[in-house]
Amino acid sequence: MPENPFDPVTLSKIANMELRARLVVDGVLSGIHKSPFKGSSIEFLEHKEYSPGNEIKHIDWKVHARTDKYYIKEFEEETNLKCYIFIDTSGSMGYKSTGISKLEYASTLAASLSYLLLNQSDLVGMVSFGDKIVQYIPPRSRITHLHVLLNTLTTLKTGGKSNISGILNEFVEKIGRRSLVIIISDFLDDIKKIIHQLKYFQVKKNEIILFHILDPYELTFPFETITYFESIEDDRRILAEPKAIKERYLAELNRYLEQFKQSCLENRIDYWLINTTTALDQSLIKFLARRESASRPFHKG
Amino acid sequence: MISFFNPLLLLGILGAGIPIIIHLINKKKAISHKFAAIDFILQTEKRISVKFKLRQLILLILRTCLIIFLAIALARPFLKNFGGGVAEKNTPTSNVIIIDNSYSMQYADSHETLFTYAKNTAREIINNLTKDDEAAVITCSNKTLPVIPELDYDKKHLLDFVEQLQPGFATTSVTPALDAAIEILTSAKTPVKRIFLITDLTRNGWDVQWFRSGNEKLRNHVSRIHIIDLSGGKPLKNIAITHLEPKLELSERNGEGNIQVTVSNFSSAPVRNLMAQVFIDQKKVTQGFFNMDAHGSETKEFSFTLEKGKDHSGWIEIPGDNLTVDNKRYFTIHATNKINVLLVDGDPKTNIYESETFYLEKALNPGREHSSPIKPTVCSIQEINNILFANFSIIFLCNVETIPYEKIRELETFVKDGGAVIFSLGNKVDANYYNTSLSEFLPHRLHTTRTFSGNSPLSEEQPLSLKPAEPIHPVLRILSEADRTALSSAKFYRIFYVDPKVQGMSKTILSFSDETPAFIERQIERGRCILFTSTMDRDWTDMPIKPFFLPLVQQLCRYLSGGAGEEGQNEIIVKQEWQSPCPYDMEKIEITNPEGTKTIVQPQLTNNEKSFLYSETYMPGFYAITIDGKPHPQFPSYFPVNLDTVESNLDKIEQKELTALMGGINVTITTSRESEGREVLLGEARKTLWGTILFLTLCILCIESFISRK
Repeated sequence: MPENPFDPVTLSKIANMELRARLVVDGVLSGIHKSPFKGSSIEFLEHKEYSPGNEIKHIDWKVHARTDKYYIKEFEEETNLKCYIFIDTSGSMGYKSTGISKLEYASTLAASLSYLLLNQSDLVGMVSFGDKIVQYIPPRSRITHLHVLLNTLTTLKTGGKSNISGILNEFVEKIGRRSLVIIISDFLDDIKKIIHQLKYFQVKKNEIILFHILDPYELTFPFETITYFESIEDDRRILAEPKAIKERYLAELNRYLEQFKQSCLENRIDYWLINTTTALDQSLIKFLARRESASRPFHKG
Repeated sequence: MISFFNPLLLLGILGAGIPIIIHLINKKKAISHKFAAIDFILQTEKRISVKFKLRQLILLILRTCLIIFLAIALARPFLKNFGGGVAEKNTPTSNVIIIDNSYSMQYADSHETLFTYAKNTAREIINNLTKDDEAAVITCSNKTLPVIPELDYDKKHLLDFVEQLQPGFATTSVTPALDAAIEILTSAKTPVKRIFLITDLTRNGWDVQWFRSGNEKLRNHVSRIHIIDLSGGKPLKNIAITHLEPKLELSERNGEGNIQVTVSNFSSAPVRNLMAQVFIDQKKVTQGFFNMDAHGSETKEFSFTLEKGKDHSGWIEIPGDNLTVDNKRYFTIHATNKINVLLVDGDPKTNIYESETFYLEKALNPGREHSSPIKPTVCSIQEINNILFANFSIIFLCNVETIPYEKIRELETFVKDGGAVIFSLGNKVDANYYNTSLSEFLPHRLHTTRTFSGNSPLSEEQPLSLKPAEPIHPVLRILSEADRTALSSAKFYRIFYVDPKVQGMSKTILSFSDETPAFIERQIERGRCILFTSTMDRDWTDMPIKPFFLPLVQQLCRYLSGGAGEEGQNEIIVKQEWQSPCPYDMEKIEITNPEGTKTIVQPQLTNNEKSFLYSETYMPGFYAITIDGKPHPQFPSYFPVNLDTVESNLDKIEQKELTALMGGINVTITTSRESEGREVLLGEARKTLWGTILFLTLCILCIESFISRK
């Protein structure tokens, strides 16, 4: 039986990130009619008193009728969608039980999304971060920008603690209105702080999509023998009997996931939980299909 | 104060380290795993870590306790002097431990012999003694063997002696052991004096008469007697060979062996078709079946053929039961050829009654030919050249005037090779000829004849009579007291005087009433010569017609042929003394017991008789008799030693009876073979703890398995 080309492990064997992205996106697009990402075209910004030189076509006649003065409508520059992909490179993203690490999965996902967006001439920027910003690539729409993004994704290395809320805080002012903010992380952080920060983005009418990447071992905790669990991000170490704590661990995890999902739902944040063993095309297809069918952020159930 | 019956097992507590080591190893063996979502584990741990660690700790403690408790329980702890109020409490004691080592203690149940239980019990008693207690250990078979005759404080010393004890083959004899114990305790200075009697309580070991006087001694010198009945208070059943009597009937070619065997059933159930097998010279020769009612016995005869001319040893055996030692009984049969005796008549007469050898021949073979073990052949001096001396064991030369020179040389070889020659004199004997031609045989040189009163008118004095010379010669041992007294009834009217000077190694067997020698023996290499200084017919004496003549000459022949012709050796019982007359020239014999231990036995003078006495008959079986490593014709090759079958009857003395016997004495009787029953006895005021600890161990095990599965 031939290997599934979208299997994360199979994809990870493809060294070229562009090839990976193309493989995923082409496969995905063949099943979707049009891009689900809709950028703003002409956006009304404010009224301005007419002055000579202004185009007459921009005079708001309704206002003139009411006020008997000439005002012209001022519009925002017409642009394509501006997307910021935040990719978490903290130490915990390097965890892999089998197959590929969360960062590898996240990188391929980010590459695929970048490819997809750039293909429709949207602007794509990227932020990689741990406890601080590792690399920031401002959004561009040129297709050659894809190479910059992919090269960055290829060279990402894990390290440091995760500080999502802090990073987001830094970008609240930098990111303009009506942008798409995609955060790919394992979100092993304080979710209250994260949600709190994301609300600032929402104020600016930014759309937020969270890809929550977790390893199957983190989701199922299949350990058997007594084990020293060591933190990847710091030097914490604990001896535990997995059988004894499994039930409690899963309960804690599910409580956290449920809380996270609920918070996202309440705040109209698109939330996607992805297991690193899930085929990337499947993840994307499901995600894009639902976005296409929904006008507002769709929350994966 | 807590003490232990098996303190060595406390070493098992070291095993408590095992769970700790396993715990540490497991901890060391724990694999490391870098994990991203460690926060959740930490959160989880916060909640369950205490529980988990507590559980681990509890399990570790439980497992450690499990091993410690198990080791302690196996060491069988007890609280010494627990709430006692007994006199012995905290008081130094003197103890005599009597271990019954009679052969009935070899009774084995499915596990061990009673003797093994006895040793274990003795060890327990010794282990229970404090450093202030002293003890002695003695055994109580029919000869009390003091193992440690003096009271000793050294427990190790006592235990070593108990360890070395072996079961014996003798019968129980409790009362001498009690005597010995009283004697030991009399010298003790402690206020509490105890006797521990560890026995199977068979009836035969108790001398009821002893208690008439012994009771008072026990009361005066012993504080308490503990009797530990290892039979568990139950009747013990046994089947034994209780009697065995071998017989031999001689025929011309082979001997017909016959053995009468009695097998007894000492149990309350009948026994059917019990096979008994007879072995001769290591080969099974016959078998038979016994049927016995409860407490009955049956006697059967077994016949078999024996090759003549040699000693035979054999045994009879029945299948094993709980007490196997009495299922085998040994016997020997000396099936040698008839003793061929040549009677050379130096004065044959037409009238047979007047012949020199008439009375002698009749005495040696009084009835039918085959009824006597002695076969006499009579010849005249003229016929002597045609006769080969080597065909005979004994040669009587009766009133022989002369002997051809060649025959003298043949006679010399005959004697040196172990043959015996008896010279009897008479009117044809020429002293000078005898002193010159036959001097190498004669124990004394012949002198002159002398005539005494009686029928002869020439007589000057009263006729002489016979009397045994001192010490009593083995030849005379078979004669009854009456016969020995009757020796004096024989009258001798004429005798040959001999020179007082002895030639070679000589010994007087009988002498005349005037102290002159009558029968004189001389050892010549392996053979013997006997000189009788009167006649074998009635010419010079009336001895041939006296009643003692027949046994005297027959015994003389048996003696000279090395005891051959006897039907069997009398049965020797274990610890009975074996006795055999000592030929005057013999300095030692060797006796090898069934285990191969060789003992050099030297003759002893008892009742004016030189005998070999051997009393080390400690075990049943065949005891080999050798001289310089070889069998000797004057002794049987073996003598059998068998058990005293009294001990085979395992009927027990009733406790009521025992209590009645020991009226007024502080007696405790316990019937338990296992220690728990005895603990009450041993400690008087002692509480055992091991049962409780074992229960606790079981509880811990249950809790442990419950927690570990959770």
